[in-house]
Amino acid sequence: MNPKTIRAKHARSIGIEIDHRGVTCPEGVSVLRAAEMNGVYVPSLCSHKDLSPFGGCRLCMVEIEGMRGYPMACSTIVQEGMKVLTDTVALREMRKEILELILSEHPSSCLVCTEKDECKENQYTIRKAGVSTGCRSCPNDGGCELQNVVERLGVTDIHYPVYYHGYEPGHDDPFFDRDYNICILCGRCVRMCQEVRGAGVLAFTHRGPKTVIGTAFGRSHVEAGCEFCGACVGVCPTGALTDKVSKWDGQPDGLQVSTCPFCALGCQLELKHRNGRLSRAEAHLDPEINDGQLCVRGRFCLPEVTHHHERAKKPVLKRGSYRREVDWSEALDEVAAHLKGLAPDDFLMVVSPDLTNESLFVAQKFVRSILKSNGIDSTARSTFPGGIDLWAKLLSLPISIKEIAHADTIIAVGLDTRFYFSIVGVEVRRALREGARLVTIDSHDSNLARYADLWLRTRPGTEGTVLGLLADSLLGGSAPNAARIAGKTGVDREKLARALDAVAPGGAVAIVVGPSAFAADPEYRLAEALLRLAEREQTSFLPLFHGSNTRGVLELGAFPEILPGPRPAEGKGISLDDLLQGRATPKVLFLIGEAPFFERPSCEYIIAQDIYYPPFEVDAFLPASSFAEAEGTLTNVEGRVQENARIEDLPDGALTGCARPDWLILGMLAERLSRSDLLFESAARVREQIHREVPGFPEEPDRRQRMLAETGIGSPAGRPAPARGDARADGRRLLVVPGGFRHRGIDLCGVVEGLSELSLEEGIRLHPEDLAELGIEGDGPVLLRADGIEIQATARADASCPPGSIIVHRPLACGGIPHRKDLEPLYRASGIREGVLVEPQATPEDSGVAGRGAGGLKAES
Amino acid sequence: MKTLDAPRRRALKSWSGLQNREDPVLYVGAASCGLAAGAAEVTRAIEEHLAARGFRADIVRVGCIGPCYLEPLVDIQMPGKPRVSYSNVTPEIACALLDAFLERGEVFRRHLVGHLGEDGYGGIPRFFDHPMLARQARVVLRNCGIIDPASIDHYLARDGYEAIESALSRSWTDVLETVKSAGLRGRGGAGFPTWRKWLTCRETESDCRYLICNADEGDPGAFMNRSLLEGDPHAVLEGMLIAGYAIGASHGYVYVRAEYPLAVQRLRTAISQMREIGVLGERILGSDFSFDIRIKEGAGAFVCGEETALIASIEGRRGMPRTRPPFPASEGLWGRPTIINNVETLGSLPSILRNGAEWFSQYGTETSKGTKTFSLVGKVRRTGLIEVPLGTTLRTVIYDIGGGLVKDFKAVQSGGPSGGCLSEEFLDSPVDYENLAAAGSIMGSGGLIVLDANTCIIDTAKYFLNFTQAESCGKCVPCRVGTRHLVGILERISQGKGQLSDLDRLEQLAKAIKGGSLCGLGQTAPNPVLTALKYFRSEFLAHIVDRRCPAAVCRDLVVYRIRKEKCTGCQRCVQVCPTGAITGPRSEPHNLDLEKCIKCRSCYEICRFDAIAGDAIVIESGA
Repeated sequence: MNPKTIRAKHARSIGIEIDHRGVTCPEGVSVLRAAEMNGVYVPSLCSHKDLSPFGGCRLCMVEIEGMRGYPMACSTIVQEGMKVLTDTVALREMRKEILELILSEHPSSCLVCTEKDECKENQYTIRKAGVSTGCRSCPNDGGCELQNVVERLGVTDIHYPVYYHGYEPGHDDPFFDRDYNICILCGRCVRMCQEVRGAGVLAFTHRGPKTVIGTAFGRSHVEAGCEFCGACVGVCPTGALTDKVSKWDGQPDGLQVSTCPFCALGCQLELKHRNGRLSRAEAHLDPEINDGQLCVRGRFCLPEVTHHHERAKKPVLKRGSYRREVDWSEALDEVAAHLKGLAPDDFLMVVSPDLTNESLFVAQKFVRSILKSNGIDSTARSTFPGGIDLWAKLLSLPISIKEIAHADTIIAVGLDTRFYFSIVGVEVRRALREGARLVTIDSHDSNLARYADLWLRTRPGTEGTVLGLLADSLLGGSAPNAARIAGKTGVDREKLARALDAVAPGGAVAIVVGPSAFAADPEYRLAEALLRLAEREQTSFLPLFHGSNTRGVLELGAFPEILPGPRPAEGKGISLDDLLQGRATPKVLFLIGEAPFFERPSCEYIIAQDIYYPPFEVDAFLPASSFAEAEGTLTNVEGRVQENARIEDLPDGALTGCARPDWLILGMLAERLSRSDLLFESAARVREQIHREVPGFPEEPDRRQRMLAETGIGSPAGRPAPARGDARADGRRLLVVPGGFRHRGIDLCGVVEGLSELSLEEGIRLHPEDLAELGIEGDGPVLLRADGIEIQATARADASCPPGSIIVHRPLACGGIPHRKDLEPLYRASGIREGVLVEPQATPEDSGVAGRGAGGLKAES
Repeated sequence: MKTLDAPRRRALKSWSGLQNREDPVLYVGAASCGLAAGAAEVTRAIEEHLAARGFRADIVRVGCIGPCYLEPLVDIQMPGKPRVSYSNVTPEIACALLDAFLERGEVFRRHLVGHLGEDGYGGIPRFFDHPMLARQARVVLRNCGIIDPASIDHYLARDGYEAIESALSRSWTDVLETVKSAGLRGRGGAGFPTWRKWLTCRETESDCRYLICNADEGDPGAFMNRSLLEGDPHAVLEGMLIAGYAIGASHGYVYVRAEYPLAVQRLRTAISQMREIGVLGERILGSDFSFDIRIKEGAGAFVCGEETALIASIEGRRGMPRTRPPFPASEGLWGRPTIINNVETLGSLPSILRNGAEWFSQYGTETSKGTKTFSLVGKVRRTGLIEVPLGTTLRTVIYDIGGGLVKDFKAVQSGGPSGGCLSEEFLDSPVDYENLAAAGSIMGSGGLIVLDANTCIIDTAKYFLNFTQAESCGKCVPCRVGTRHLVGILERISQGKGQLSDLDRLEQLAKAIKGGSLCGLGQTAPNPVLTALKYFRSEFLAHIVDRRCPAAVCRDLVVYRIRKEKCTGCQRCVQVCPTGAITGPRSEPHNLDLEKCIKCRSCYEICRFDAIAGDAIVIESGA
C-alpha cells in the first residue's frame, strides 16, 4: 500500500466550524474538500480532486477567523478548531465581481442573457460554428461548470466590456479540438498533463492578457509528444477542449461502466450514450486498474469503431459475382448446409482474441461438440511466441498493474507507453515520483527511456539476455559474465554495471514487458528470465499483449491443442499456421472477428462473422454485435473477469441493421445443425455453463485477480525455430513487430480517423542516420531484399528505431488497411530476420537530380 | 581559522599604490548610467589622446557614484593629490581636461564638480558637499563610484570581507541577534523584519537550506539594485555569505535580470575572485561553513520578483506564483527552507556586522532603521541614485537633494507600479515603511518618480496599470482580467468618454483586485489608481465632467493653437507638420487647421526647440 492510501485511510478526524456549524473532516484535507464533504457549496472552477491546488479562479475564497484577507478554500489545509465562513456579504460581492471578470473574457452572452430560457427551447441554429460565440454554439452547453457557477452565484449582468480573444480554434491535431477563446485558464489540463500523466505537453504560454494554454514553442501536439490520452479534455470545465467525434452530440443521457475492448489491460470505461447510441468513452475512476486514466485507444477510438459508415450490419451471401443482403434465416440456413457432414479436418474456425468469454466458449464448443473437430485457432497465438505452454506458465505468475506504483525498482523491457498501454506509463511515472528507480531494456528509444535512471540499449532480440543478467543479480547471484553479455548484446558495459548496481537493492520489483520484446526474442530468453524471477518474493510481473481477451482464448481452449481449463486436447485439428504456411487447406473456413490475411485463401467456402466486412470476398457474412451492442465478459491480463456492458439496444431495421452477439449467432447455427443446447438465453446463461466446466472461472463478473490454473500442458519437444535469413555481413536486421491497433478483424488505423492521421504503424522504418547512409534525407523510397523477397517501399525516418535495423509493423488484423498490403511478404515471418539488404530506389525524376546533387558538385570543386 | 590577512595586505598595497602613484589615475564612471551617457566614447577618446600625446596615466572604470544626471563623470587624480571630478564629459572636454592637467599642469575649471579628498584643494569644492550628496548617508553605496568593481583588492582594501570573518568567528544566533538589534527590514518593499524570516528558515528541519538574492529589479524607473551590483558586487556577495551563515544555507543563488548584462558580468567576476581567495566554496576560511553561489539569469518577467514565482523560475518552471503559506522560509526552492533577500538588504549586512547594530540603527526612525537607496527620477532637476536615512522627508529628497522641479510639483510616485502617487500634502512626512503604507503607497524597492504639473495623473496611472496588466502572469483572474479592465476604464476617461459611475467602478474593481489576487503583484497593482482617486479626484472630475485634461496630456482632450502674437512665421512647423495642417507664408503668423491636425506634437516640439519666438504653439485643454 502506498503512503498516500495509508494517509487517506487512517487520517484522524478533526472538528472545525463551517458557517457557525460544527462539522468533522479528515485531517490534512483542504477547506474546500471539508466543505464539500459536509454538503456546503463553495464555488470553484480550477480545483480538481486529482490535482494539486492552484488558486487561480479565486472563487473559493472564504473567511477564516485569524487569517488575513480572503484565503482560498482550495489551498488552505484545515486545522483543528478552524472557523470558516463561506457565504458572507463581502464574499458574495467579491465572488460576483470575480465571476464577472471571468465572464468578460468568455463568450458569455448566453450565460447572462435574459431571453436564455426562451432561446434554449427554440434556437439551435449556429451549432458547428468554427468558434463559440456563446453557450448555444458551445459543444459543452449543458455540461459546463462555468454555466453552473453562474447559475449558483446568480450573475445576471456583466458590467465590463467583453474582450474576445480572437484565437484561431485548433483543429489540426487529431482526436480533440481546442478553442482557447472559451478557455478560462483554470490550468486543470496543464496540471493533469504534468502532474498525473507526467507528459508535460501542455503549459501556460505568454503572460498577462495574452496568457494562453499551449505547447512549448507552439509545436503541434503530435510533435510535442502528446499521448492523446484525453485526460485534459476530461478535466476541462468549459468547452475549450472537446473530442472531435462527439463534440456535437450534446450532453449524454447516461453512462454505463464497461471494460475497454482494445487491449489486455482491461481499463474501466464510462460509456456515455445519447439517444441510445454510444457517444464517447471516458475513464472510470477505478482504483484497481486505470484510476481515471486511459490511452488514446480507449479514450477516443470506441465511437468511431462502432459507428463507422463501413460498419457491416446485415447478413450477406455471395451470389455469383454479387453480394446480396439477406435475412438471418436465409444466411444461417445456407451456412448450416455447408457445415453439415463435414469431416473434422475439413474445417477451421479462427476466433479473435477480442471476443467475449461467452462467445469464445460457445465457439470452441461448437467446433468440438458439433463438428467433432479440434479445428479452432486464434491469432492470439502470435502473441505467444515460444508456445502456449510457456505462456500458460507466464500467466500463472503474480501479474499486477497496480504493483508498479508501489515498486522500488521497475524494469521495463521493450515498452513504449505513448500510444499503447499508456496507463502503465502513468503508473511508472507515479512510482518514479515516489522515488522508484527505472531501468529500461530496449533496442528502441521508448518514451519511458526519457524518465529512466538507466536505458540499456540492446541489439534487437537480446533484451531477454540482459533481463536474465539482471534476474541473476536480483536473485542474489553474482554476475561474473556481465562483460561478456555486454559484448553480446551491445549494451554499454559501464551502463550495464551501473544497472546491476541500481537493481541490487531490490526491494519490491516490478517487471513490465511489452509485446514487441516478446515478438523479437528468438531464443525465448525473456520468458525464461521471467519464470526464473518467479521464485523471488516481492516481484510482480506485467507481460503485455494487445488482444483484449487473449487470456480468455487460452483459458477457454480456443486452440487446437488445448481444451477449456486449459487442459491438453486429444487429437489435432488444422491450425491457422497450417493454413498460412500452406501445409493444409480446410474446405470450410469460419472466421469469427478475424481477418488475418489480405487475400482470400483457397478454401471452398468461407464464412466471416464480424462487425466489418473482411478485406477479401467471402461466401457468407454474418454481422456480429460490437462491444457496445452486446454484453459479455473479458478476462484481462491479471485474470479479472470484467463486464462488457451493452449500451446500444437497436431494433432491427434498414438503418440500424441486425447484428447479433457472436455466441447467439453460433447458437442459432447449432440449432439448425440439430443441437439446441448451444442456444443460450443470455450471456449470463453461457457464463453459468463456463463456470461448470472451467475450474476457477467465476459465474458472475468478478474483478479479483486470478492466476491461471495448473494446466498440465507439456512442453513440446522443441520450440518453433526462429525465422532467420542469410546473414550477409552487409545486411541489416528486419524486425517484424506486432501492430498494436487491432480490434477483431480490423486494424483501428484504418477506421479511426485520428489514428490514420498519426500513421503510427505505416511503412517501413529506419533510423534517420541509416537513411542518411543510404543517401536519403527524411522519407524516401527503398528496395528491400532478403532471401527471395524483393519489396519496394517508402522508408520513414524514425529516430526511435534501433540503428542498423528495419522496423515493420505487422498488422494482426487486415481489415480496413488496404495500403499496408504491399508489405505482406515481410509479415510472413514474425520476429527477426538477419541479412536484409536495403538500397535507395531512385524515382525517374530523382535520378537526374542525384547526378547533379550537392555531393557531386562538392567533389568537383 | 584561516584569515584574509595575506590577501588584504596585498590589496592594501595595490589600493594605496593607486592612491600614491607617480602617474595620474583617471576614474571613469562606467556603470550603465555612465555608459548610456557616453562613457565608452569618452574612455576611448581618453585612451587615444593619451597615446597620441604620449601621456602616461592609468584608467579605472568605476561604478555609479550617484548623480546620474552628471554622467559621464570623469575623475582625475594627479600624484599626491585628491581625485577631482568632472561632469558631463564629452570626448572633446576629456581631451581638454587631459591637456590642462598633463600638459599645462593646471586644474581644468570647466565642468568641475568637486574633489573627493578630505581637505581643501586649490579652492575646489568637495564633491560630497555638492547639494545632491550633502544630505545623503552612504552606507550601502559607500564603495560605489569609488572603487573598481572588477577588483576584489579594492573591496578588500576598504574593509571588505571583514564582516564575514567576524561573523564566522561568532555563532549564527549572535549574527542573527546583531541583525535583529540593528532593526534591518527587507529592502525589497514589504519591510518584513529580516531576522524573523531568517529564524523561521533556520528553525525549519531540513537537510539543506537555500539563500536567494533577489536582483530581479523590474520596476520602471528603478535602478538601485543594478547600480549596487555594478558598482560594488562584493558587498552584496559578502552579505549573502553572512545571511547564508546565519540561516545555515549551503547554496546561494543570485536571481538577476538578464537585461542587466553588466551586473551579471560583475557578479561572475566577483564570484570567481571570491573562490580564489577562499571566501566561497567548501569550509570557508577554515570554518565549518560551506557555501556556494550560482547566478540565475531571469528572462525578463516582472512577476519573477515575487518570491514563489522566482523559485519556480529557478526550478526551471514557468514563473508563476503559488499560494502562500507555506512561505518559502519553511518550504521554498526544491521544497527546502529558503530565504529570499533583496540586493540592498544583503548589501547592508557587511556594514552592520562591521560597525555594529548600534551604528546602523543610529540612522532611521523608531520602526524603520538604517538607510535606504532610492532612484530619484522624473521631473526633478537632479536625478540619480541616492541613499538617505529612513525617515528623511520627501521635501528633503526632492528639493534639497533633487534640486526641486522646474514647474510646479504635482506628485511623487514611490514604489513603482505597486506604489501610489502621493500629493503635496505628504512632502513633509518622513519616508518610512509605515508612513508610505498609511498613505496608500509602498516603499517598494526604492523608485521615486517625481511628477510635475505637466503630468496627467490619469495618464500616469494608465501607464503603470498598462505595465502590470502586461506583466501579470495570467494565473489568477482578478489580476489578469481586472487590471485589463482598469486600463480600459482609465483609457475611456482619458478619451473624455468617462462617466461619473466609472469612479465607483474603478474603486470597486480595485478593491476586488487587491483583495482577490494571489500574489503581491495583483494585490498592489491597483495602488496607482487608488491613490490617484484619493488625492487627485478633481483631475478625474475634470476629465469626466469638463472633458478637460488639466495637464494638457490626454490627446483626445487637447487642442493645438498658434499664438498669433508670438509666431514669427519661421515656417519650421509648416515643414514638420505631416498632414499639412499648418499653413502660412513666411514671416507671417501661421494658421493651424484643426480638422487636419492629428496632434502629433511635432510642431510644438520644434517651436520650443528652436525657440525663436519661444512658445508660439501651445497645447490647451478645455474651453
